[in-house]
Amino acid sequence: MVQFLIKRFIGLLFVVIGVTFITFVMGLNAPGDPIRTLLGQHFDPRLYAQLKHAYGLDLPWYQQYYNYIVNLLHFNFGYSFKQQGQSVWSILSSGVPISTELGFWALILEILVGVPLGVVSALKANTWVDTTNMGIMLVLFAIPVFVLSVFAQVIIVWIDQHTGGSWPVSGWGNPWQYTFSDLQFKIVPILVYAFTGMAYIARLSRTSMLEVLRQDYVRTARAKGLSERVVIYRHGLRNALIPLVTVLGFSIGLLVTGAFFIEQIFNIPGIAQITITSINSRDYPVIQATTVLLAVAVVIGNLISDILYTVVDPRIKVA
Amino acid sequence: MDTRDRNTDPAAQGAMIPDGAILPTDPILTDVRETIPGGPPAPGETTAAKGTEKIRTPFQESLLRLWRDKRAMVCAGIILFFVLLAVLGPLIYQHVGGTFQSSINGATPSSVYHNPFHQELDHQDEFASGMYWLGTDSVGRDLLARLMQGLLISISVAVLVEIVDIVLGITIGVLAGYFGGWIDQFLARFTDIMFAFPGLLFVILLTGIFGTWADTTLGNIPIIGPNGNARLILVSLALAFTAWPLMARYVRGQTLQLKEQQFVEAARTSGASSAQIILRHIIPNLLSIVIIASTLNIANTIVGEAGISLLGLGVQSPGSSLGLMISDGISLIDSHPWEVLLPSIVLAIIVLCFSFLGDGLRDAFDPRSKD
Repeated sequence: MVQFLIKRFIGLLFVVIGVTFITFVMGLNAPGDPIRTLLGQHFDPRLYAQLKHAYGLDLPWYQQYYNYIVNLLHFNFGYSFKQQGQSVWSILSSGVPISTELGFWALILEILVGVPLGVVSALKANTWVDTTNMGIMLVLFAIPVFVLSVFAQVIIVWIDQHTGGSWPVSGWGNPWQYTFSDLQFKIVPILVYAFTGMAYIARLSRTSMLEVLRQDYVRTARAKGLSERVVIYRHGLRNALIPLVTVLGFSIGLLVTGAFFIEQIFNIPGIAQITITSINSRDYPVIQATTVLLAVAVVIGNLISDILYTVVDPRIKVA
Repeated sequence: MDTRDRNTDPAAQGAMIPDGAILPTDPILTDVRETIPGGPPAPGETTAAKGTEKIRTPFQESLLRLWRDKRAMVCAGIILFFVLLAVLGPLIYQHVGGTFQSSINGATPSSVYHNPFHQELDHQDEFASGMYWLGTDSVGRDLLARLMQGLLISISVAVLVEIVDIVLGITIGVLAGYFGGWIDQFLARFTDIMFAFPGLLFVILLTGIFGTWADTTLGNIPIIGPNGNARLILVSLALAFTAWPLMARYVRGQTLQLKEQQFVEAARTSGASSAQIILRHIIPNLLSIVIIASTLNIANTIVGEAGISLLGLGVQSPGSSLGLMISDGISLIDSHPWEVLLPSIVLAIIVLCFSFLGDGLRDAFDPRSKD
C-alpha cells in the first residue's frame, strides 16, 4: 500500500516536472523579447542589461530553470513582466479564491445530483425514466460547456426582458459569500459548470449500479429475504460507489478546462481569465504560474482518487 | 433520437445497440451484446453462413447494422448536409440575389455582400431577410456566409487533425503492440502524462504563446492568406498532439489481440516477415477501430477549435469560425440574441451528430469489443 502510493507519487512528480519544464521551455523560446517590449520606447542598453539581470534572464537556461523550480517550491512565482513591480502571486491571489469556489461547488453538485440520477436510472433500467434521463445526460455531456453557457445566458436575458427582472449574466459577487446578490451571480455559472461532469458521473453510476445488481451477493441478499430497500442501499449502492472514486481526477480535469470557457463567457475574474489576459499580453511568468497551478490541481485530484480507491476497496491489488 | 423503443427490447432488435454510450469502455453495451444470437464474426475470421441467410462478409454485415441504426443514419445525413453547405454553399449563395445600391460602397453585387469578410455598415444587426438569409452581425457581415466559412474551418481542422492523429496513432500503436519493448514503455508513460494533464490547457498554452508568431509568418503563405486563419495550423497540430495517444492506445490493444490470432501465426509460419505481417494482416484489420475512434475524436476536435477561437486564440477577425462567431455575438446577447444562438445551435447539432454517429459506428463495426 505504502509502496504503491510512493510509486504513484513519484509518477505524478514526473508529471509536474514535465509540466514545469514544458511551460519553462515555451516561455524561454517564445518569440519576442519580453524585456524589450517592457521598455518600449525607453530603450537604453544599460537599463536593458540591468532589467535582464533583475529578472534573471541573463543566466544560462539550466540555471534559469533551476531558479524557477526553487522559487516554485517556495511558492514564489516571480514578478510580472507587464504590471511592473507586481509579484505574480499578488496578481493570482484575487483569482484563486474565485476559481476554487466555482470548482468546489460544481464538484459537490456533480456528485450530489449525478449519483442519484444514475442510481435511479439503474433501478428503473430500460423504462422511460431511464431512457429520458440518460438521453438528457448524453446530450449534456456531448454539448460543449460554452454552448451550454450561451443557452443559459439567452434564457436569463429572455426571462429578464419578459419579467422586468435584472438577473445578471456576467460577473461574480464576493468570493465565498452568499448574500442574495452574490447568489444571483453564482448560481447559473456553477450550475452550467457542473453539467458536463454531472452527466458523466450519472452515466457512470448507472453502469456501476447495474453491474453490482447482477452480482451474486445481491442475489444472496435477496434470497435470504432482505427487504429491497436494504438490498439496494446497503448491498448495492455502497459497492456501486467504489468505481466512482476514480472519477475525481477526471472530473477535476474537466473542471480545469471548463473554467476557461465559463470564466470567459460569464466574465468571472478567476484564474483562467487571468491566464487568458496574460496570454494576450504575453506575460510569461503569470502564464507559467497559472499553468503549473492548474496542472498541480489535476495531479492532486488524480492522486487523491488513487488513494481513496485503495482505501475504499481493499480488494484492489496494489502493485 | 428515439432510443426508447429500442431500449425496451434489445434482443428483438438484433444488433441494434441502444443508448449510445459516450465511453468506448462502457460495460452496459457488452451485456446487451451478449444477448445477440450468434453475434457477428470477429475481424479476420471467415464468415460462416448462418441458416438460410445470404452469405455476407463481416464488413457487409457491419454496414447493414449501421444502415439499420436510424439515429446514426440521420446524424450522418445532417453531417453530410453541413459539409455540402460549407463546400458548395458559398458557390451558390454568392450568385443569389441581385445588385443593391449601398450608401457607402455604391452598387454592390451579391458576390460581394454575400462574402463572409465584407462589412456592409448600413446593414448592421439585421434579422433574416431575402437579402441576408440569416441576417447580419454587428458590422454588417452576412451571418450565413460567415457560418458557411466557419463550418469550412471546422471541417478543415477536423480533417487535418484526423490525418495526423491516424498516422501517428497507427504507427506508434502498431509498433508498441507488435514489438513491445521500449516503444511500448514510452507510449505507456506518455499516455499516462497526457491523461493526467488536461489537453486543452496544452493547446491554449501553445496557441497563446506562438499565436502572434504564426500570424506574421504563416499568414504569408498564399493558401492560408491574410484572413486571420494562420493560427489554424498551430491549433490543428496542438489538437492532434493531444489526440494521438488515445488512438495509439486503442490501436495497441487491437494489435495485441490480432497478433495472437491464427491467421497471423499462419502467415508467420509460411515465412512472412514482420513488415509483411503488419502491413498485410494487422493494419487492414485495424480499419474499424480507427474509423470509430477518429469519428468520436472529430467531435472533440471541432469543439476544441471552436473553443480556442472563442477564447481569442484561434481564428482571428475578419476570419470566421463557429467559436469566433459565438464570441462576437455574446456581447449582443441582450439586443440580438440570434447572433450568438445561431453558431451555438449549429455547433451543438454537429457535435451531437458526430457523437451519435461514432456510437453507431462502434455498435455496428465492433459489437463484441469488451475493451
